[in-house]
Amino acid sequence: MDAIYAEHLFKTYDNVNYALSDLSLSIPQGTVFGFLGPNGAGKTTTVKILTGLLRQTSGECTVYGYSPSQNPCDVHRVSGVMTESAKMYGQLTGMENLVFFAQTIGMEPDACAQRAGELLKQLDLWDARDKKLSEYSTGMAQRLSLARALIHRPPVLFLDEPTSGLDPESAQSVNEMISSLAAVAGTTVFLCTHQLRYAQDICSSYGIIDSGKLLACGDFQTLCDGAGCHIKAGFRLAEGEQLEGYEQKDGWWQTELLKEEEMPLLLQKIVEDRHNVYEARLIRPTLEEVYFQYLEHQEATT
Amino acid sequence: MKLVSSAEKAVIKKDFGEVWNTKMARTTLILVPAVLVVAIPALFLLMIYLVPTSQMNGVDKMMELLPPEIKYYTQRQAMYYFLTNYLCPMLFLMIPMMNSTVSAACSFVGEKERSTMETLLLTPLSVKQIFRAKVYGCLLISFLSSMISFVVFTIVVSAGDILLKMPFFFNWNWLVLVVLFAPALTIFGVIFMVLVSGRSKSYMESIQTSGYIVLPVVLLFIGQFTGLFQLDALLLFFISVGVLAADAVLLLIASHSFTPEKLLR
Repeated sequence: MDAIYAEHLFKTYDNVNYALSDLSLSIPQGTVFGFLGPNGAGKTTTVKILTGLLRQTSGECTVYGYSPSQNPCDVHRVSGVMTESAKMYGQLTGMENLVFFAQTIGMEPDACAQRAGELLKQLDLWDARDKKLSEYSTGMAQRLSLARALIHRPPVLFLDEPTSGLDPESAQSVNEMISSLAAVAGTTVFLCTHQLRYAQDICSSYGIIDSGKLLACGDFQTLCDGAGCHIKAGFRLAEGEQLEGYEQKDGWWQTELLKEEEMPLLLQKIVEDRHNVYEARLIRPTLEEVYFQYLEHQEATT
Repeated sequence: MKLVSSAEKAVIKKDFGEVWNTKMARTTLILVPAVLVVAIPALFLLMIYLVPTSQMNGVDKMMELLPPEIKYYTQRQAMYYFLTNYLCPMLFLMIPMMNSTVSAACSFVGEKERSTMETLLLTPLSVKQIFRAKVYGCLLISFLSSMISFVVFTIVVSAGDILLKMPFFFNWNWLVLVVLFAPALTIFGVIFMVLVSGRSKSYMESIQTSGYIVLPVVLLFIGQFTGLFQLDALLLFFISVGVLAADAVLLLIASHSFTPEKLLR
């Protein structure tokens, strides 16, 4: 069973413009799925439909087998959701906030406090546990929201920009936490983010969305193949030397490879041709390159 | 079967705290009853007790409005009877109306304004459970505040009864008022605010709309001064039943309009 499944999802607010257009997704359990797209692409609308806050105009979707429109409570029981627009209570302390949300899940009072304490320590908020949320910094409030989403150990997590507003150190620790949740607890993570470098580090598959349409979906290699981004061989030679058929970029002579196994032969040939090779390396495409490739292609076709 | 689950209890408790921690709501919950059931009746009592009867104008005309059994009252007693049975009911009814709308505005619109409604909707509580818990919370705050106000009011007015050697003020009118009319208006105030919450963008904006429900009640009581009608216990009973029937219909509409899409619009 897929942890998150969507088939031909459409959403319109005015019957004219579509916030989502024919979105289909199939995310297996334990996947960290990076959902990428510019502002207004439809990421938040997708999360809101998958979490039962919005109803799709047409199409089907399930989270852990539950339909968000038919059984939103069951969906909320198996999922933790952290979005930028879902705030917590400013007049309650960090601890009180977590205990309150644990109580709404039906946890016993002792278990609520214990679990809240665990998460506050894990997210480096223990010292601020008795401070009112209104006194928290943006980053602290963000981490508390993540703690809220994790309070009932959900098997599915929807995270909308979980590291925005965090300093690099906190962002790294949150990313490590997400990765470990997927690796150790088998948690499925649906991660909406603009931070493509972090996404590449922690996601095992991706979806790229723009103007409500899913442009690409799959693991990084699938995305690279679809965008025509290939691995490259790069050589830094002595000054004044040239390689025919190669393009020069930032002091490196580069050429595309079909597979990385071609590299040793290529290097051997260059050395045999009496070039002075100072450095040789494989240049892999980044998620950022692949992402912009898809968006540019989308812009060109519309 | 439990009336409310432990999760709903948590929401009610949280709402209590939230209403109490909102300065304007807290001030309204304390100040409005203090003025309406303590300050104003006490002030009038002092005036009636201290001002010489020769200086009271229009008392004869006012006495014509009073029921025949009051004819043997002294001028001071008649004035006080008028205060406790014509003016004070209107003042007292302001309390459940103001408190219910203020607490509901804080609970429903305030939650929306502070963007915490979305978080609450993401819990495993159903929309109906959230609605129910919030309505119960607002009703409880309003009932509690109205009850305390009535106890204080009874003490203040009884002091006047003793001072002016009059019988205990509580009569059939007051019974219907306290047991039926005030609760009916409390429910009405809460549901009215739930309906308004979908459209209101801010807590203050929603509070301003509460004037729409206060006005008819004020007019109802002031209408008596024209001498066209008298609000006796039976009429108050029928009006209360009418308001309760309206409550039931509005509750149905409000619970159906309480959907995530409308709340997060």
